[in-house]
Amino acid sequence: MLEIKEVVFSVPDVDAPAKGAQKTIIDRLNYTFERGRFYAITGPNGSGKTTLAKLIMGIYPLSSGSIFLDGQDITPLDITQRAQAGIAYSFQHPARFKGTTFRDLLSIAAGTEDEEKLASIVARVGICSLDFLDKAVDSRLSGGEIKKVELATTIARNPRVAIYDEPDTGIDLWTIDPMVRLLKREQETHGTTTIVVSHNRAFLAAADTLLLIKGGRIAYTGDLAGASGLLRDLSACGYGDICEGESDVRCYR
Amino acid sequence: MFDAIDKELLKAVADLEEVPKGAYNIRKNGKLLGREVSANIAIETNEAGTGIIVRIKPGTRNESVHIPVIVSQAGLHDVVYNTFIVGADSDVTIVAGCGIHCGSSKAQGHEGIHEFQVEKGARVKYVEKHVAMGEGKGKRALNPTTKVFLAEDAHAEMELSQLGGVDQAHRTNTAELSAGSSLLITERVMTDGAQTAVSRNEILLAGDDSKANMVSRSVIRGDSRQDFYATLDARARCFGHIECDAILMDNGMNETIPSLKARHPDAELTHEASIGKIADEQLMKLMSLGLAYDEAVNRIIQGFLK
Repeated sequence: MLEIKEVVFSVPDVDAPAKGAQKTIIDRLNYTFERGRFYAITGPNGSGKTTLAKLIMGIYPLSSGSIFLDGQDITPLDITQRAQAGIAYSFQHPARFKGTTFRDLLSIAAGTEDEEKLASIVARVGICSLDFLDKAVDSRLSGGEIKKVELATTIARNPRVAIYDEPDTGIDLWTIDPMVRLLKREQETHGTTTIVVSHNRAFLAAADTLLLIKGGRIAYTGDLAGASGLLRDLSACGYGDICEGESDVRCYR
Repeated sequence: MFDAIDKELLKAVADLEEVPKGAYNIRKNGKLLGREVSANIAIETNEAGTGIIVRIKPGTRNESVHIPVIVSQAGLHDVVYNTFIVGADSDVTIVAGCGIHCGSSKAQGHEGIHEFQVEKGARVKYVEKHVAMGEGKGKRALNPTTKVFLAEDAHAEMELSQLGGVDQAHRTNTAELSAGSSLLITERVMTDGAQTAVSRNEILLAGDDSKANMVSRSVIRGDSRQDFYATLDARARCFGHIECDAILMDNGMNETIPSLKARHPDAELTHEASIGKIADEQLMKLMSLGLAYDEAVNRIIQGFLK
């Protein structure tokens, strides 16, 4: 299991009039992700969802607090060490590389260059074809294609904890359900603790537990049905006082 | 025929373990070390005795010629003029390259001036690697010049690389393209320490429907410096593209100046250029796959220069 204890992440507040002021993005957050369960993290833009995911991967350093993976304190570990400890991360906006192919990335992720093994991973992921292997992961790949590459490299790690940040960005509507099924299958057959940051209802509905983050804190944990009231509130407009009508060009939403 | 140093250099510049198959001409310290011709590929010393003329018969297909150069003599600066006449409708590979082994404090160098006359409908792939090694402190200089003349519908692909050990390089590539011909140049250069490399490229698109694509990849480490100049001069209905990317590491410096000259209303010329450090997002991605920081850097560089 993955335990988040009293985690704080703050950054310099450049908008504040006072010099040296800090802005808290994640505010003393505590949560335990149980092994082998499927979690969806949702919440309004800027609530701290991606930040929390990046703190777990070690991409951002904690301001304070600690993170434990299966009892081991991983707080001092860097990205590489956390990856080696079994955490994998799928970026919302994956990096593009000149000259590096999908095969290169998959080989690094899987720790093998064996053709059969790579083909079996591609087959296991199922959402991209074998001829994808020798494509360069550069600007010529479409947004959807690069997300599939990202997903495949994450799964190829056989991680204990897999974090997917907005996996459906750039993915066509017809691929979202197969993607949800794939992540569920990975969770069920490999016991992967799965954490998906998403606004997409398909992922929220597939999760065993939904976490709603607001203002850097957990505002709700439970199932989607229980969260529906809160989610409706979040989607409601907060500009009632100055509203001039939704069809007005000055609509503030 | 080869000593241990020769073998090491030949492996590095031409992937040769032994004498190559097919036609070859191996030059060592300014002298001929070995030559073999084939039924379709003739090699002869030029009249002035300053280099070779390689004549490839029209219609020759799937053959290759290796012309590596070894410079291992202290203080030697070797200059050679080679001409390649690639016969009409042939399809061949030419593997060149120069390896310097420096064992003293004296400067060593090589200047290969290569002229290619690629006849109508012929296709040629030219692979040139430059490497310098050895424990000596003498300056190692490699200053190649390639001049390419493409006849109608001819095609040339040139892979030019310099991946280590060369202190100073002044490269000049010029090309003239006739109607329907095409040229792809890929240049990969890595410098380190106090090394400098300058690449000047002048491509003249003279014929209708000619196409040129110039790709440059530079990795600049230590206190080294690389400058890249490329000009596409379009005099006909044509297409040309320059893509130059430089990765700066440590205190590396780079000047990149692509130049597009459209002297015909139907010319279509584009360029993209970038200079910068390795992107953090690339490093983070590879580290999230379990690589350490240095391994991630190496994999990114390897891919970039591949």
